[in-house]
This record gives sequence, C-alpha cells and structure tokens, in this order.
Amino acid sequence: MIKLAIYGKGGIGKSTCTANLAAAFATLGKRVIQIGCDPKADSTINLLGGSPVTPVMNWLREHDDEPDSIEDISKIGFRNILCIETGGPTPGLGCAGRGIITTFKLLEELELFAKYQPDVVLYDVLGDVVCGGFAAPIREGYAEKVLIVTSGEKMALYAANNIGNAVNNFEDRSYATVRGIIMNRRNVENEEEKVRSFADSAGYPIIADIPRSADITKYEDMGKTVIEGDPECETSKRFLTLAKQLIAEDT
Amino acid sequence: MKNLGLITPCYTADTSGVCSMLYELGGMVVVHDASGCNSTYTTHDEPRWTVKKSMIYISAFTELDAIMGNDEKLISDICAAAADQKPKFIAVCGSPMPMMTGVDFDAIASEIRIRTGLPTMGLHTTGTHSYIDGASEALLEYVKLFISYSADKIPGSVNILGATPLDFGLNTSISSIRDWLAENGFTVNAVFAMDSQPEDLLNAGKAEANLVISQTGYAAAEYMRRQFGIPYLCGVPIGRGYALYLAEQLRKIIQKSSAKPFRRASGGDTILIGEGIQSVSIANALALDKQTNAHVICPLPVTETMLSACDRQLYAEEDIQTELHADTVKTVIADPLYRPLIPANVKLIELPHFAFSGRCYADRIPDLINRNTEEYFA
Repeated sequence: MIKLAIYGKGGIGKSTCTANLAAAFATLGKRVIQIGCDPKADSTINLLGGSPVTPVMNWLREHDDEPDSIEDISKIGFRNILCIETGGPTPGLGCAGRGIITTFKLLEELELFAKYQPDVVLYDVLGDVVCGGFAAPIREGYAEKVLIVTSGEKMALYAANNIGNAVNNFEDRSYATVRGIIMNRRNVENEEEKVRSFADSAGYPIIADIPRSADITKYEDMGKTVIEGDPECETSKRFLTLAKQLIAEDT
Repeated sequence: MKNLGLITPCYTADTSGVCSMLYELGGMVVVHDASGCNSTYTTHDEPRWTVKKSMIYISAFTELDAIMGNDEKLISDICAAAADQKPKFIAVCGSPMPMMTGVDFDAIASEIRIRTGLPTMGLHTTGTHSYIDGASEALLEYVKLFISYSADKIPGSVNILGATPLDFGLNTSISSIRDWLAENGFTVNAVFAMDSQPEDLLNAGKAEANLVISQTGYAAAEYMRRQFGIPYLCGVPIGRGYALYLAEQLRKIIQKSSAKPFRRASGGDTILIGEGIQSVSIANALALDKQTNAHVICPLPVTETMLSACDRQLYAEEDIQTELHADTVKTVIADPLYRPLIPANVKLIELPHFAFSGRCYADRIPDLINRNTEEYFA
C-alpha cells in the first residue's frame, strides 16, 4: 500500500496536487483514499464535483456521538476515490490538532483500511507541522513518505524547510521520511533554480514539476481535477507520471 | 527536572484552592474538567464536604468537548444548573485540559452573566499551580464582585482574610482567632471564608482593618487597601507573645499608624517549612515565647516582604533537602510527609498541613492560637 502525506505552505496548492495525484492513481486503476487533514475541509472537493463530504468533526458535533460506519463520514468521488475530511472545530475554539488524532483513531475503530482495502492513501495536511496533531499523519502506521509542495517563493521555501526539519526530528521514531518535492510553479523569477537550490541543500529530490496552468483553475471552477477535466493536457501528464513513479517504487 | 517531587507530594492545586475559598460563600463553583476525579477537589481536599453543603460541580469535560471547544455545552449546562440551584454567584475555573486548548474563562463567565443575570467570575486555574493561587484569585474576585467602599466604619472592626481548611484544618483555630480579636477589644467583621454570616461578608467594606492569616488572603487585602483604604496586617496570633504583638500592631493600623513587622533575620538551628504567613508567625512566636531562632522555608507563593533575609522560598525538593542537611540544623517543624527529606539526627516536630498531607494527619493539626506553645514545640 502506498501511503503519502502531502505538506506545504498554506495556499501553495497542496490540495490541488493531492487531489490530482489521487485522480492520477485512480486513473491508473488504483483503489484510492484521500483524507483531508485541515479544518477548512476543502481537500477533496474537486474529486466530488464540488459537492463536499461531511467532515468527521461536523458529524461528531451534530450527532454528539461517533459514527457507526465509514459511509457516515465519507463520500465516493472521481473513479471511486473514497474522500474523507477531518474538518475541525469552530475557528478560534477547541483543538484542531487533537481533532486529527481523534479522527484517525475513529477511522481505525471503523476498520477503514481493512474494509476498503486501498492501494493508495493520501493525507493532505494543513500547512506546517504546527503541533502533535498535524504530525499524526506521519506517525508509524499512517503515511510512510512525505511529499512537500513548494514554489520558488521565499515563504513557500521557508515553510518547506520547516516541514523537512520537523520530519527529520522524528527520524528515530519510525515516522515517515521525506520522499521529495513537488515543485508547483508560480512563475516567479528563477523559480527552478531557487527550488533546486533548496532541494539540493536539504537533500530532497524534485520528483514532480507542475507547470502553472490555467487548466487547473478552469477545472477547479467546475469542481474537477485537471486529470478529470483533461487527462491529456500537460499538467495531467505530470501527475500521471508522478503516480506511475510512486507505484513503481512500491512494487 | 527542577521542582520535581521524588519523595514528597505536591501541595494541592489551584482548583482546590478555588473550591475551598468559595465553599461557604453561596456560589456555584464549576471546575471545567473531566469527570471521574471530582473527589480530588471535594472529599480529598475538603473536610467540610461531609458536614456542610456547597455547590461544587465538575463539567465532565470530554475529549470531544476539548476538540470542538464546545463552550456552548458548558455554558448551557451551567445556566440550567443555576436556574435549578439558584446560587448567589457562579465561578468557572479551569484544569489542565482547558489550559491546553486555551479556553477563555473570562468570556465564558461573561456569557453566563448575560444569560443568567447572576454575578460571575472566570478564574484562571490550570491545575498546575498551588492552592494559594486559586484561593487567592477566587477571594479577590469575590471581593471585587460583592464588596464596596463604605465610609460608615464599624469601630474596631476587623475582617479576617485567608481562612480555609487547607491552611488551618477543621479544628478550632479560626474560632480561636475570633476569640483573640474579641478579647483584645476588636469586633470581628467578615471572615473569608469560614463560619461567617452572609451579612457580615457583605459588610466587609465597613471594617477598619484586615487581618491576613494566610497568603490566600493577601491579594484581596491589597485590593481593599487600594480601593477602600482599609489597612491590613499579615500574621497569625500564634503563641502568647506574638499574639500580643499582633494585637498591638492591629490597633496601630486602625489608628492610621504604621505597623512594624516583627520578623528579623535571625538564623538559628530550627527550620520551619510551610505556608508563608503562618510559618513566619510561628517563627515569631518561637522567638518571643521560647527565645528560639527559626528560619522559614516557604515552598509556596508568598509576598517577598513577609520573609526575612534568613528565610528561603524554595520550590524544589532537592533545594529543600540541601537546606535541611546543613550542619547547623537541629530541629525541623514541618508536615510529617517531609520526614524523608530530614536527616536522621535532626528532630522533626510534626505540624500537619492539610494542603500538603490532606486527611492523613488532619486530626493532628493543632490550634496554636493565642496559647502557650512551648509544650507543642518542645
């Protein structure tokens, strides 16, 4: 089973990359689960035609009890991708990090993996590794590899470095390790050079180069990934290539 | 790992301080904490639990409440309970879990006040500080809510601040302090917060002076000095000589003269461990009645000016142990649970402290007020 966690600066395109990667895996015939680990709960929306799943935290809040089945807190999206969102508390209250841990515990109790038998699980994690809850997706038993999404923008690279450091801090704990960088281009000056410089210094390979494309926005406006909207376009090809590479590494 | 207690227990926590100080004041106290350990706040730290009713509640905080920041559930539960129980006020205080999720108790208290129309206080306990902090804040907030300035003073009247079983147990000490005040011509006004009538409490602003008998009363005394011009004196009338001295000083401050603190840097071969104001008072009593020089180790928050140069404020067990192992130490006066820190050749005079050893030695907490103490400290 391929288990990946996708981290990166807020707004850098983590959810876009994760959803497109999920769609690519599914297009290649894999059984995929995508779990959005962000209180905003918008990770999977473009796999669901713009019709969002009820986040786990919302379900718990509304029912004041735990769900009885995976179906209560998931929705089937593009090419049978199982979509789950942790969601979070009312902004400004509670503890979103703890919410992620509780969601994972709940998914274990509901025997998600045993029942759904996925080939690929993708965790799309909010911004930085700000507390224990947001490190939960890289704990043993969850993601095995981390993909860091960054552009050549200074703050995105800064966040990528922080994420890398956080993951490296856990090297004695059998947590996930950084597999590489997804360069999500923003067309800043000398972008490739800047990202490559960071990647080289950190010792991470750039495993995908996603061009800045109007197609992504166009299809997201329609509630779709670019893979769903136009699987033949260059952006889709890049995601499909990445998916193929990761599948090859797993076999 | 400084401040780690390997051998000795820790003093009871701020949450218990809140419950203890507010126990008899007619309010509803809600500790925002998980259910299952309620007895920590009440039965273990509250000897009045079986003899006096009080509205102490636990919110039964759940993991989901913590994640969701489910303040509304807490607020509506409290409002419903208040409608049923009709308390005079509502106090809401925290514990470790709300501390971790940053619950805003001021805002919660404010919402409850708006919905119920009752006076409320949001207290900032975390369960990680000593009872002094919780009791002190609770009394201060009570005074802010209910006590106002009065130009109509009751001649010779004195409030007692800082009376809780955590520092005095449930023996006759507080009534002995009342008797001592009466014997010296003072009128006992409010006693915060044991065995006082509601009308006396509300008349606290009419007192001419405050007597602070533990650190838990200090913040409220200081507030009443600043806001109402009521002078205060810190001390417990322990022994004969110091009780006389304290009465004289009380007269002085009522007559608008300055009180002279008795405490002197004296050293000596005796060490007292305990709550600051009470320990300093015992040291003063020993100096006057027994001509024994003692210095104090205070492992709790205390106003610095209470201590002399020879006294120490030490929180770490290892630091206390080091101090007790000095060659000059011959006698230690402390709670029996300090015994493991005391060298075998040093005499321990047991002085149980409810906030430290709870019910273990509760029946051995002495009333030392205004009486000969030579025998006890022999």
